[in-house]
Amino acid sequence: MIIGNMRIELEPRLSSPKWLYLAVPAGSLVFAFLVGGIFLSLTGHSPISTYSSLISHGYTSTKGLTNTLGLATPLICTGLAAAFAFRMNLFNIGEEGQMYLGMIGSAWAGIALAGHLPHVLAVPTVLVVGALAGALWVLLPAILRAKLGTSEIVSTLLLNYVALNLVNYFIYGSRGFFRDPSTSFPQGRGVEATARFHSFGNSNAYPTVIIAVLLAVGLYWFMKRSNFGYETSVFADSPNTARYAGMNSTRLTLSVLLISGALAGLAGAMYVVGPAGKVDPGLLQIGLGYAGIVVAALARYNFVAVIVTAILFAGLRVGGASLQISSNPVPIAIAVVLQGSVLLFALGGEIFRRNRLRIRRVEQARVAS
Amino acid sequence: MGSHRLGGATLFALSARQVTKRFPGVLANDRVDFDLLPGEVHTLLGENGAGKSTLASVLCGLYKPDEGAVLRNGTQVRLTSPRHGLQNGIAMVHQHFRLVDRFTVAENVVLGHRSLPFVLRNSDLEDQVAEVAERFGLPLDPRATVGDLSAGQRQRVEIVKALYQGAEILLLDEPTALLAPPEVEKLFETVRAMTQAGKSVVFVSHKLGEVVDISDRVTVMRDGRVTGSVARGEADTRKLAELMVGRDIDLSPRRSRAAAQETLLYLDNVGLTKDGIERIANVSFSVRAGEIVGIAGVSGNGQRELAEIVAGLQAPTSGEISINGSRVNGIGTRNVRKAGLAYVPEDRLGTGLAPSLSIVDNLVLTRDRGFLVDRKSALIEAEAFIKQLEIKTPHAHTATRKLSGGNSQKVLLAREIFATGGNSRVLVVCSPTRGLDVGAVEAVHKLLDEARSAGKAVLLISEDLDEVLTLADKVLVLYRGAVVHEASGNEVDVEAVGLAMAGLS
Repeated sequence: MIIGNMRIELEPRLSSPKWLYLAVPAGSLVFAFLVGGIFLSLTGHSPISTYSSLISHGYTSTKGLTNTLGLATPLICTGLAAAFAFRMNLFNIGEEGQMYLGMIGSAWAGIALAGHLPHVLAVPTVLVVGALAGALWVLLPAILRAKLGTSEIVSTLLLNYVALNLVNYFIYGSRGFFRDPSTSFPQGRGVEATARFHSFGNSNAYPTVIIAVLLAVGLYWFMKRSNFGYETSVFADSPNTARYAGMNSTRLTLSVLLISGALAGLAGAMYVVGPAGKVDPGLLQIGLGYAGIVVAALARYNFVAVIVTAILFAGLRVGGASLQISSNPVPIAIAVVLQGSVLLFALGGEIFRRNRLRIRRVEQARVAS
Repeated sequence: MGSHRLGGATLFALSARQVTKRFPGVLANDRVDFDLLPGEVHTLLGENGAGKSTLASVLCGLYKPDEGAVLRNGTQVRLTSPRHGLQNGIAMVHQHFRLVDRFTVAENVVLGHRSLPFVLRNSDLEDQVAEVAERFGLPLDPRATVGDLSAGQRQRVEIVKALYQGAEILLLDEPTALLAPPEVEKLFETVRAMTQAGKSVVFVSHKLGEVVDISDRVTVMRDGRVTGSVARGEADTRKLAELMVGRDIDLSPRRSRAAAQETLLYLDNVGLTKDGIERIANVSFSVRAGEIVGIAGVSGNGQRELAEIVAGLQAPTSGEISINGSRVNGIGTRNVRKAGLAYVPEDRLGTGLAPSLSIVDNLVLTRDRGFLVDRKSALIEAEAFIKQLEIKTPHAHTATRKLSGGNSQKVLLAREIFATGGNSRVLVVCSPTRGLDVGAVEAVHKLLDEARSAGKAVLLISEDLDEVLTLADKVLVLYRGAVVHEASGNEVDVEAVGLAMAGLS
């Protein structure tokens, strides 16, 4: 690009210094807020007061923080699900549907099994059944991918719509097992009380957030140290090398997609043992499965970083929603604009991590030509 | 600038004066001088990364020099593009051909020629192309589709294209890399025909052996600088190698020094038929402990299939393979390794190594790993290899793709020969020095020789005939999947081997 007598060039970096891995995302965040500020000014809001209100409602007040952690809990799981599949260059776009199935599966376990189980086993069983249901939902795409090479992107995405309609059918379309029989109002049947966690104090955060964080850290360690993690990294880097070393690509592909589906299913199960306590169509409205893909991308598919980006993202949602009810209400669309800008700048910022910006005088460039 | 006359009457067809070219982190050409006489064959010799291809690209107009000048017939020219170079009679034939596979020879030759009429008359063009081809002894059918041609024929198309467009100076980048010996001979005849017509040819090459035969002058580059320029007869290959590498290089033949012992690898009538095509036809041979058996042949004659069959990556459709006396047909590559096989594939960075993974992680690739990967012992092993084999790397956690070809090949060979005690007794090695520098070639050959001395049975499958002849105690020639020629390493008839490689025996 040439401006005046200056030529701006990008020059590839031979190696990226470590601080850039933090500086680039931080810089992206600042730019995203600047862009959001332009929109706020244009719609007649003060960016500074809006942002301080956003930060207070999303992160710094006790109520805001616990709300954010509550929302971040399933988001960490869907983020891990997307990041896990991506570690083997597999694109599981079906976290949304796998999460719904996790909700359905865990609600079934909470209604049918929890009553017969000792207290301490009830919640773990519900969570495990939810994870299994999520894994089951990705089984067909996983087999198609592993055996026939069918694109998992399309097959997992399409199953989201099937899962969505399945939930709608159970609650609105039928008077079956999952529907509350005690009322004519369409809502889910509640799980046993033993199958639910109590929230922290009077807040919206549940102990599941600890499970989600431990899971992220555990996965990080497991994929770094285990033979399974090693084989997936070889396969992701070079399938020919994996074949050369005698690795079983079918088995690896199947396991990675099934674990990814189980993680997404766990997100739905955490929703059941936490705030919902039943099959709740409210989950269909907040798109935590798709947001998980974004969270994973922002975290550059690092499991521990997923914790941070999930909390960041959840805070923007919570804070953004609260702005609507202030004295000068800010439309929720502004929060969505902010989320979009954060993603856009974070991904765009990659250019500056890989390249160095150079400004040269054009005179010099002409001599060379 | 005005015109230069250097050395009185001598007017150079093409010169570089103090050419400097930088890339991020690399000084590719550092004040390089180069002179080409009319009617001369001039070789630009140097290792990978010495800057010879950069200089050639500057000379043909592909790159602009950061400093310095290019002179054509003593007058400075500022070439802005390869087309501009061509207008000045300079053309380059790249190592990777730039032809349209679905076009005919004639269409490819005239492609990009500015003075074409709006409506093409194919018969006229074909006649013109055939005329140019014939004048320089380049047999070509102008109506053939380029996609159907062999590498040698495609190269001829590129050369005819350059000549058709009026090239007086032809730069050939690694022109013999893909050719069988008879095709190389044919290329040299063409080059002689061109120089007799007053044209000049620049060979860009890192292969020592062939340049001495054909060149009137050799200019040697190292690390972006010219280290010497010698006329025909002034220097032998050893001297040139020293100029290239900066130290004395030993590329003399290495043979087994002890009598070979028991048979470790045995193939009995092995065949492979895939998609109805016979890829490997009744191949039988044995490799004994303490010997290297070399398999020569032009690329694509079944080398890859043969190696994969032995390594257990493909199962043969007929015949028997045994390693260490036990039958290994179709037991899978992990079990073949357990039976005592180590395998260095031709594609080192995309198959033998995982390019983005570290040296340490690549060393555990062929180990039995258990539930958790033991990187501690691998790190100790990696550091020992780095020291012992002089692998140039910042540290043991560097990704293998960041290493030079020679250093990544050392990592791969170290793993396959020595890793975890070096228990494997059979070593299959494919084109181990393809694309490597002379210095790295010497190191790899030394390693293979040591493996042989340590009592391993080595099967060397290589498209580089010189390599096979340098190392092998027994030479087999593979042509269309069959062994068509066999000779002991000490009494090889090079001409017979060359003919066998071309399928003419």
